[in-house]
Amino acid sequence: MGSSVSRLLRGPAVLYLPAALFLLVFFLVPLFNVAWMSFTEPDTGFGNYTAFFASSFDVGVLLNTFKTAAIVTLTSLIFAYPVAYVAARYGGALGSILLLVVTLSFWTSFLVRTYAWMVILGVKGPVTAALIMLGWSPPPQILFTTFASTFAMTHLLMPFMILTLYAVMRRIDGTYMRAAAGLGAKPLKAFTSIYLPLSLPGIANGSVLVFITCLGFYVTPVLLGSPRDKMIAGRIGDEIEQMLNFGGASAMAIVLLVATLGLFALYSRFFGLDKLWR
Amino acid sequence: MYSEKTLPVKLLAVLIALFIAAPMFVVIPMSFSTAPSLEFPPPGYWLGYYQRFFTDRNWTLPLFNSIVIGLGTTVLTLVLAAPAAFALVRHDFRGKALLNLALMMPLVVPHIVMALAYYSYFGMLRLVQSYTGLILAHTCLSMPVAILILTAALKTFDRNLERAAANLGSRPLTTFRLITLPVLKPAFLVAGLFVFIHSFDETVIALFISGRDTTTLPRQMFNSFLMQADPVLSAASSVLFTAVLIAVAVPAVVRAVRGKRAVSPRS
Repeated sequence: MGSSVSRLLRGPAVLYLPAALFLLVFFLVPLFNVAWMSFTEPDTGFGNYTAFFASSFDVGVLLNTFKTAAIVTLTSLIFAYPVAYVAARYGGALGSILLLVVTLSFWTSFLVRTYAWMVILGVKGPVTAALIMLGWSPPPQILFTTFASTFAMTHLLMPFMILTLYAVMRRIDGTYMRAAAGLGAKPLKAFTSIYLPLSLPGIANGSVLVFITCLGFYVTPVLLGSPRDKMIAGRIGDEIEQMLNFGGASAMAIVLLVATLGLFALYSRFFGLDKLWR
Repeated sequence: MYSEKTLPVKLLAVLIALFIAAPMFVVIPMSFSTAPSLEFPPPGYWLGYYQRFFTDRNWTLPLFNSIVIGLGTTVLTLVLAAPAAFALVRHDFRGKALLNLALMMPLVVPHIVMALAYYSYFGMLRLVQSYTGLILAHTCLSMPVAILILTAALKTFDRNLERAAANLGSRPLTTFRLITLPVLKPAFLVAGLFVFIHSFDETVIALFISGRDTTTLPRQMFNSFLMQADPVLSAASSVLFTAVLIAVAVPAVVRAVRGKRAVSPRS
């Protein structure tokens, strides 16, 4: 026993054990505690889960969360693709500038960018001013609507999408496209039959990453969104802060966690986990 | 002949990039604005909001707290992640894939779930509203960032440098101190910077587990949003953006300088 421990400590365990133990104590145990609370607070059993799925409001929140995540994923993919394509395919100064803008945005706080949209879409902001100038009076309410939060989330997550798409596109050999053209394919045909299929892993990577991130979004929907259609993270926040309902909040957290990890597991079965962040 | 109209798609990409950059064109001018509320374009310019940001205790305390927590998180994360990265890249052991997965997991679990987890767990450990609690939580979430950067750097490390040192009679520890560490210094710097930014930026968990005296800057900003849109927010936002700018620019400069100075051993 003692000798096996000392043998263990002479290997790589010395190096990885501190990190592994840290994660065990400050990541896994707190998460298991959430699962535990969801079945024990205030009563033992499945009460928190049956209450959640019996509430049409909460099921609506869950469905709304998935719907929003799907819209954000699709929209950000549509806008991200051309940027990643130009950066990867043509490179040069333009490519570098595009990547710089995207990287800076990627690292800029969600909170700061959410604040910017609050100003831009606000009552005294440029968008409202433009609408009034175009004769739209009274101007429509933009802030605190589902549109505002969906729009801002798309903006926030586009850099994720661009960077993951770019990582895959960078490795696509440009000569394939020239070969296709040489064989008589029109640019659009060459793109749809050569480039697009080759970029599919990037599309899958980016979409899963954006979808998963969007499922758990808290800050932006709370600040910019309509109080009428909440997302699940906001509901969990309400249950903790206003209701002090730890059992209910835990059950919702577990539902969110299972959805997230389930999607993630499904994805990594097909694509391999290691490809997601490279 | 092969011809492709590239202009429309390039133009489209530039327009989208402008859209991505748009918030900064608003936040930075706003921080110099004289407007008492959220108004854009600003009616006039002054430095008053910066002055308040750096003198008002409601903002200086959160800034101080965020720096303390960020530094604590950076040190603890690097101390834990660096050896683990060495083990992952240089050794084969049972459960390595599982460890790698576990180290990446904090990237996938939604922050609100972790916020609830820490709120209740740290409640039991009496760590709510403490620096320690926030540092522990942020360290856990920063681990994947540090591991990703450090393992990437280690994979490209040319081990012939270490072998050469050993051949010339250097002891392992001396080799590590004189060869391995200096070569990896930029990677440590980058990992440290990004971990710091990660912690400096984290809102959701800080919202739930920081207290009145340990309020972080993002938490103060979030509350300021909810209450009244205090324009000091834009000064705070600009300061955060500048921090990111430095974090992104410094590694690029380091890489450029290093690229000029060191002739790669393989080329």
